Amino acid sequence: MADVTITVNGVTFRVPAGTNVVDAARIGGISIPVFCYHPRMKPVGMCRMCLVQVGTPRLDPATRQPMLGEDGRPVIAMMPKLQTGCTTPVSEGMVINTESDEVQFAQKGVLEFLLTSHPLDCPVCDKGGECPLQNLTMAWGPGNSRFDYNDKVHFEKPVHLGDLILLDRERCILCARCVRFQDELADDPVLGFDNRGRNWMIISKSDPPFDSKFSGNTTDICPVGALTSADFRFKARVWELSSKPVVCTLCPVGCNLSLDMRYDQLMRVMPRENGAVNDIWICDKGRFGHRFIEHESRLTTPLIRKGGHLVEASWDEALALVAEKLAAVQSSRGGSAIAGLASPRLSNEDLYLFQKLFREYFGSHNLDHMPGSAADVDYDEHGALMGVGKGTNLMEMGAESLVLVIGADPEEEAPLYVLRLRAMLERGAKLVVANMRPTKLDRSATTRLYYQPGSELAFVRGLLRAVFDRVGHERLHLKHSGLEQLRKTLSDLSVEQAAELCGVPAETIRAVAQALLEAKQGLIMYGAEARSAGAGMSESLGVLAALTGKVGKPGSGLIALLPGGNSRGALDMGVRPDARPGYAVLSQRGLGAREVWPALREGRVKAVWIAGLDPAAQLPAARAALEAADFVVVQELFLTATAKLADVVLPAASVAEREGTYTNAERRVQRSRQARQAHGEARPDWQIIQGVAQHLSELSVPVAVPTQRVEESSQPVGGKGKSKGPGKTTAVTVAEPSTWDYLTPSEIAAEIAERVPGYAGITYSALAATGQGGDWGRQTNEAIFYDGTNYENSEGIGIQLPNLIEGQKTAVSLGLRPLSKPAHERSLLLVSQSLAYDGDLLLRGSLLERQIPQPYVALSQTDADKLNIKPGDTVRLDSAAGELTLSARVVDDVPAGVALIPANLPNFSAAAVQTGPRTRVNLVKVVTG
Amino acid sequence: MGLSDYIIMRELNFPDINRFERYCQVGGWEAYRTAVKEQTPATIVQMVKEAGLRGRGGAGFPTGIKWSFLPKDVFPRYLLCNCDESEPGTFNNHQIIDRNPHQLIEGVALSAYAIECHTAYIYMRGEFAAAALTLEQAIDEAYRAGLLGKNILGTGYDLDIYVHRGAGAYICGEETALMESLEGKIGQPRLKPPFPAVAGLYGKPTIINNVETLANVPRIVEKGVAWYRSHGTEKSPGTKCFSLSGHVNRPGNYELPFGVPLRELIESPEYGGGMKGSRPIKIIIPGGASAPWLTAKHLDVPLDYEGVAAAGSMLGSGAVIVLNDTVKAPHVAYKMDEFFKHESCGKCTPCREGTHWLVKVLHRLAEEGHAEPDDIPTLHGIYRQMAGNCFCLLGESAVMPIKSALELFPEEFEAIIKASNERHQRNGAHAIPLRVS
Repeated sequence: MADVTITVNGVTFRVPAGTNVVDAARIGGISIPVFCYHPRMKPVGMCRMCLVQVGTPRLDPATRQPMLGEDGRPVIAMMPKLQTGCTTPVSEGMVINTESDEVQFAQKGVLEFLLTSHPLDCPVCDKGGECPLQNLTMAWGPGNSRFDYNDKVHFEKPVHLGDLILLDRERCILCARCVRFQDELADDPVLGFDNRGRNWMIISKSDPPFDSKFSGNTTDICPVGALTSADFRFKARVWELSSKPVVCTLCPVGCNLSLDMRYDQLMRVMPRENGAVNDIWICDKGRFGHRFIEHESRLTTPLIRKGGHLVEASWDEALALVAEKLAAVQSSRGGSAIAGLASPRLSNEDLYLFQKLFREYFGSHNLDHMPGSAADVDYDEHGALMGVGKGTNLMEMGAESLVLVIGADPEEEAPLYVLRLRAMLERGAKLVVANMRPTKLDRSATTRLYYQPGSELAFVRGLLRAVFDRVGHERLHLKHSGLEQLRKTLSDLSVEQAAELCGVPAETIRAVAQALLEAKQGLIMYGAEARSAGAGMSESLGVLAALTGKVGKPGSGLIALLPGGNSRGALDMGVRPDARPGYAVLSQRGLGAREVWPALREGRVKAVWIAGLDPAAQLPAARAALEAADFVVVQELFLTATAKLADVVLPAASVAEREGTYTNAERRVQRSRQARQAHGEARPDWQIIQGVAQHLSELSVPVAVPTQRVEESSQPVGGKGKSKGPGKTTAVTVAEPSTWDYLTPSEIAAEIAERVPGYAGITYSALAATGQGGDWGRQTNEAIFYDGTNYENSEGIGIQLPNLIEGQKTAVSLGLRPLSKPAHERSLLLVSQSLAYDGDLLLRGSLLERQIPQPYVALSQTDADKLNIKPGDTVRLDSAAGELTLSARVVDDVPAGVALIPANLPNFSAAAVQTGPRTRVNLVKVVTG
Repeated sequence: MGLSDYIIMRELNFPDINRFERYCQVGGWEAYRTAVKEQTPATIVQMVKEAGLRGRGGAGFPTGIKWSFLPKDVFPRYLLCNCDESEPGTFNNHQIIDRNPHQLIEGVALSAYAIECHTAYIYMRGEFAAAALTLEQAIDEAYRAGLLGKNILGTGYDLDIYVHRGAGAYICGEETALMESLEGKIGQPRLKPPFPAVAGLYGKPTIINNVETLANVPRIVEKGVAWYRSHGTEKSPGTKCFSLSGHVNRPGNYELPFGVPLRELIESPEYGGGMKGSRPIKIIIPGGASAPWLTAKHLDVPLDYEGVAAAGSMLGSGAVIVLNDTVKAPHVAYKMDEFFKHESCGKCTPCREGTHWLVKVLHRLAEEGHAEPDDIPTLHGIYRQMAGNCFCLLGESAVMPIKSALELFPEEFEAIIKASNERHQRNGAHAIPLRVS
């Protein structure tokens, strides 16, 4: 919108039209005090703190032009009453006075009023020191109060709004920021008000109370100490804390966190502002789920199995033993008898070194970052190949953009995306949510669709056909192959036939296709449920993005919600059996996790090294295999079920105890800093890996891989076209093996920047660059004025990788696998639902542990009636693989034909019945007695 | 000079007009029948405009003009009848519903037709349970007579009228809070703009009129603009049902043409019948508890919007409270502000905290006789910090009693302070004051 000229306290400057007076004045460097107003929410004008004098030029009724006074300047008609700045939009020629006697009288008055009811218990209040009420009272308030202290209102306190958030009614100034945050931003309208007048109070309306994954944010934006978290309440004074910038590794969003430490102890977790990732918000998992760092059960020293028991050992002893054993296996059985599994929560540096060690020293490609369950899905290629274009920032997207969310439940898989997508909607974006079952995001969606369980591929094929019918003849603006094949594949299935298969009307499919085509920017987000349909899913979505021109430019592409905080990094770094770093396909693949377990039992693999994964907890097959293995090394935070089976256990440093970089779902690489000293003798994973490498070289184990170019395809895995050869180079040049003497992770990052395609230029110094402009735009941290809380980001906002398709170096294969019609020998589709609060080890010690559900299977009312099952009944699931007994729930938002179980709960495994990412089951009631 | 043909309180002409048949016999529903069959909505709006009908709820805004604020071609629209009658001293709506309900229903129906809306709600104060029943029966009778519902009188016009009872909050008489309450939310005022005529109930264009206002409409349409304007004054045409209460011999509702002097309402044997025991008048509150106070010297003020405003008060809802010299001004202010404190919704700071604080001081001063030396400047300070700074008019209304009391009767406050001060000194300067809280 055009700018308008305004005059504030005699200073004239230009601001965008439509800005409210409070924001406009701040553009000119003039602060108007506020309590209820918050720049991220709609103004409500309740607290009356921002009262100012406002006048507009008097217009000549005939000409509608400003009337000029004798001095030749416009005559200003001042409004008779003071106006609330937050609710008054600026207009051309507006004159605002924020300092006149009347305004000061009103400001002092409102502050005096607020303080009459406020307990003034700052010395024991958690907000003290970062409290807007304190700040504004000092700057704008009266020096004293005429209110009789004995007349203060007293209430019982604290009120538990929920498990996590407590309310002090006496401190509350009733600004409704928390209620509005929950309503407007989080779309969890679980807070409300009860009663009226001075008894007006915030209440929780939900059961369980304050049922929201974003509840912690309300404590940040609360302008007084009314809302405090059970996690931080009475723990520390804020001025004792030092903020350490880290990146959250609990989900693929990669929120920027500040670990607020008192000396070496974690007091609380706060968001760091990053407009490209999490704005000023974080979810409760990020905020409250970092207590694992200091958990008493953390491993502190290396352990070595002696006489059947794990006993403490020195690092030297442990590393030497690992090197010796692995070297022995390699010399006797070859490198292919060694396998390595590394967790997707590890940093890029760890993951890079891990695969480097395996490939260089052992010549083994037996690498994976998944636990090897039947439910593991295929490696997601298209998220990198066609992942969001460089320069994509959801915060800058709005009108003319569309997001298609398919087979995903962002609230559980990557919670902060709910806020990000809702903010886009607020700015005018369209949101199409297609799932087999209702999710919370449906409430915000502009279009919501439910396809038949298990028919997502048919739905996407329908979309593809509808798009192809419109643009099939047009030239694609990217290198591609297989257009002819695509035409053939798509001709097999009309939109109507697809509609028939997936249960979404053909006209709806066409409308969504049309909307996606028309949108200037378009993102396709897919989650665990979509990916469980097989690799055909991301492939089809990639083709959809390509056909609709939503590839290779800012604001377009695919966002895959992968498990863990750094699955994308693990894929980029080549922690997988079939490709080197940078998606360079190997002609001869190693064993993936799923193949490692039988190989261990059969003796084809003898030794396994597991970093940060706990397959034994979930998978009986893994447990058996580990018991059969000759040698097991586990590097971990805790003595997990897997670690208990190990021969050597190496204590790893947590994310807070080391530096590293992580790549998020939008392929933004972000740097996390060290917040505290190592726990006990724990070491960063990269140091452990390097330690083993150094011992190996002392043992004079020769490097297995010759230094010349390895024989491999340079074609990324996603591109299945025929063109091959060194000309199309995204390949890794294997240089001289390094000497394994990295001093800091930044040296590893430098090597990654040099060797991994796409990571060029991503060095620690580049990542930490702040300052004006470009990809590193300094965050404003303006909310400190409104919230009192510092969200300062001193570490840069990360660097987004270009996707592999950018620059036209890589061709995208448009060839699609044929749509297989699943056989339905069993009646129900078993769907594992990813939950935010699940058996993740990292939730250990947090207040969220009690929100982890007990195992259950959820059914629709239809199926429950058919099978004569009541809620709470014990039921038996049987599949081609085996049987499982569970307690039944009957819920509204599960469609008929689906048995929904939570994925990854502690002490629960569905491995007994799972035959793959998708399992068909029958279900019967267990009659006891 | 009483009316021979009442506009609103027609039970005085036809005692059993509350019966549907009787109402119809005396010309009831004829205006509506003619309108829906023969007249365009615009005609009705024009008549109401020309008749100069002004809103009886308090603000006195011209009704026809308000109707014309509706944006063209935005549908659906809603008509809301405000029957949240809660202003202390106001009790005429209740009587209209009890004794002449069909005229209100006809007024709602006619007005709905005029603004081209098909759904009207009558928002009743929660306590009006019996009145709600009366209205529902009256509405049922209209449905049975084919005057409401689908395809009314074969014209194709549809109209439904619903009665909705609130939960007993003064603030729900504020038009935006009323809409919030009707939508099922907590009764609190909304930010304006947008004004209800643009985005009101459920975000749709909405007109809100008071019971008495709407009850006027059938009579204007039936008897014509000229007849209507033959009552009252040029700027305040028609009649007003004044709710007279306080220390008068004959409190009650009296329908008078606008412009009749205050003295006549209070002293005429037809109406107030003079003061009880012939005691002198001390305070006259001419427009409900929100109106600034007048005194005996204002007895010749004409009771119309302009006349009362010129005297420094407002006609408001036409609730005239007359108090004699047995009352103490601080005490009256205390009782009234206690009401506003009790009814403050809590949304904005000045009203929530200001009324609370005012009442704390006034209770101590007026009820306990315990005053601090600087109570007068404190009270002035509190109401000045509220005046003009509140979210809606409730907080502004709460200013009026204390401001009037301090301006008109400062000596009474001073006397309490003096007495209290003397007691202090007798007790010794350092004695801990006895306080009851």
